[in-house]
Amino acid sequence: MAAATIETSALTRSYGEICALKPIDLLVPEGEWLSVMGHSGSGKSTLMNLVGGLDRPSGGALKVGGKDLLALSEDGLARFRREYVGIIFQQHHLVPYLSAVENVMLAQYFHSTPDEAEARNALERVGLGHRLKNRPGELSGGEQQRVCIARAIINSPKLLLGDEPTGNLDHKSTMMVMELLKELRAEERFTVVMVTHNQEVAAWGDRTIYLDDGVLVREERTRC
Amino acid sequence: MLALKLLPQLLAWTATALLLLRAFSGRRLATAYAAGAGFLGGTAALAVVPGALLYDMVRGFLGAAFLLLWGVSVVVLYQSNRREGASGVRFLNRAPLCGAVALVCGLIAGATCACRLGSGAAGQLLTPLLLAVAGCALVAAALYAERLLSPRITVTPAGLLAALVALALFASSFLIRVDLFAPLSMKVMKGTHDFVHQFMESVLIPDHIFVRQVVWGYIGIFFSKDVGFWGGMVIWFTPVCLLLLAIRLQRLPKVSHIRQGAQRRQVIARAIKERNLRLAVPGFALAVLIAAAYQSQHPTVEYWDPKPLQLTANAAGEIFIPRKGEVNLEDGKLHKYLFKQGEREARFFVLMAPNGKLTVDLDACAICKPDGYGQTEGTLICYYCKTLIPLETIGMTGGCNPVPVQFADTPDGVRLNAASLLNSWGQTIQSTTRPKEGGK
Ligand SMILES: Nc1ncnc2c1ncn2[C@@H]1O[C@H](COP(=O)(O)OP(=O)(O)O)[C@@H](O)[C@H]1O
Ligand SMILES: [Mg+2]
Repeated sequence: MAAATIETSALTRSYGEICALKPIDLLVPEGEWLSVMGHSGSGKSTLMNLVGGLDRPSGGALKVGGKDLLALSEDGLARFRREYVGIIFQQHHLVPYLSAVENVMLAQYFHSTPDEAEARNALERVGLGHRLKNRPGELSGGEQQRVCIARAIINSPKLLLGDEPTGNLDHKSTMMVMELLKELRAEERFTVVMVTHNQEVAAWGDRTIYLDDGVLVREERTRC
Repeated sequence: MLALKLLPQLLAWTATALLLLRAFSGRRLATAYAAGAGFLGGTAALAVVPGALLYDMVRGFLGAAFLLLWGVSVVVLYQSNRREGASGVRFLNRAPLCGAVALVCGLIAGATCACRLGSGAAGQLLTPLLLAVAGCALVAAALYAERLLSPRITVTPAGLLAALVALALFASSFLIRVDLFAPLSMKVMKGTHDFVHQFMESVLIPDHIFVRQVVWGYIGIFFSKDVGFWGGMVIWFTPVCLLLLAIRLQRLPKVSHIRQGAQRRQVIARAIKERNLRLAVPGFALAVLIAAAYQSQHPTVEYWDPKPLQLTANAAGEIFIPRKGEVNLEDGKLHKYLFKQGEREARFFVLMAPNGKLTVDLDACAICKPDGYGQTEGTLICYYCKTLIPLETIGMTGGCNPVPVQFADTPDGVRLNAASLLNSWGQTIQSTTRPKEGGK
């Protein structure tokens, strides 16, 4: 069996009285594509934020890429986010007054140092070679999400997290984005964890887990 | 009071010790001992070496160190496009080298502090002793503080040299007799004047009317006082700027063999960060040099600058100044007088030289505009060209020395002839107040 990319045991996260994530045990092997489904407020985003190092757990153990995230300092956690994870959100979080290529270069800058040729190259890979200089407002929802994908993969993450990345897209754009992610994963061999409400989107993964009120209630293999 | 007077020197000494300890981090203790011993030796020099010689030694050494820095900076710039930047770091941790460098730095710092105390402290025991103790205590403090300094700040040999020289120059810039910047700019000024003069006379006498106008229009620049200042600035800052440039020009590592973009960028980012950190020490040296030049331009030394007392002559045309009258002529201080007769006037001073003989001289020399002299730190200073004239040489002619006046040294006082005084003043002033570029 491949090494575990994500390994949690009795992982919890509570906001005061509210327990957003009940003790949860999860193991995601390297290279897997895991889909996460569940109702609104079931703790999917909470789980993603913990795994991506955006948030700290209330209890339990959490290892990502062999690193114990609870033991990392703030600096260490920031470094982990920079070098290990790429994240795509439903809201694209692109800087509105920067062009597509500049948005990607910004991610390079925070990681190490910008390299425009490489940023262009990444946008060409997601099929936006002709929209390099456009600002997010001048792009369609699907195109914006593809800029986000270029931005998420520019620093060669080992783990790609998606929090409802296709939630705002129509069917055609959704399929284009999914196709793109599949291609990129085949080339870059990153692990994928993707939250979605869409059964069809979830089916692109190797396995789907279902959360309900912060509890992992069910999981099923999509294909072998 | 004393601590305040020595504060800049002691601060510079602490920074010097910190730098030495960081540069020779492999041999911290040996470095600290050598530095402390050097400082003790430098302080002790006050008792052993006669005053004037001590000043000359310190200044001579600073000049040599500055020249060395010039040479090193040129070599470093020449080698800057090599890939391996941190060469010579291993060489820094050889025991004899750290010991020698720390010892010399200590000697210079100690001697500078001793000079600052002045020859008045030579006879005392307590003050130099206190200074020596303070110097060693600061080394101990630096030994502790160096651990708190970010471990990422590294010191290259050239950077170390630059910072050490800058700190020594800073410490000495408070002492008019060992300061290097003022005499440097003066030398530049004189050199430029001489060169332009020679060049004009021997090579290019502008005969054509247009040529003459154009040339004379610009030549004034070379005779202005600024030329010395700016020329001095260039010579002063160039070596450190060359070092900074050399670091900036260091090539980044080869990354073309790294296939993954993120990894490639990381290697480059790390190299750039390291390069910027290497700028820290020479950058610090630059800042210190700026402070030194500023200090040199705005000396804080206490001048003895008396207001000229007005005098009259008796019916026989003789001026008489009593030895112990209103002022005590024998106190070793400059006493200025102004003699007026109708339209004519003359300014002169009476001073007892260190050999115990009274001298009377014009408050002007044969070269500079008659801005006069002040007294400081065992010298007279020409207010126009900032030349220091050791008190021992007052009464001799030549250079920027004040023009001696004939007088009779009688037991009750000094007598001079009013007419010859006025004539001597008139002649001296006539040749120096005329603007130099007056050839036009
Ligand atoms: N910052 C927060 N402060 C308080 N409660 C929060 C916060 N974030 C999320 N929650 C609560 O935690 C629960 C899980 O939220 P979330 O993980 O965002 O759900 P999902 O993404 O599955 O819709 C919800 O009940 C939500 O109200
Ligand atoms: Mg959510």
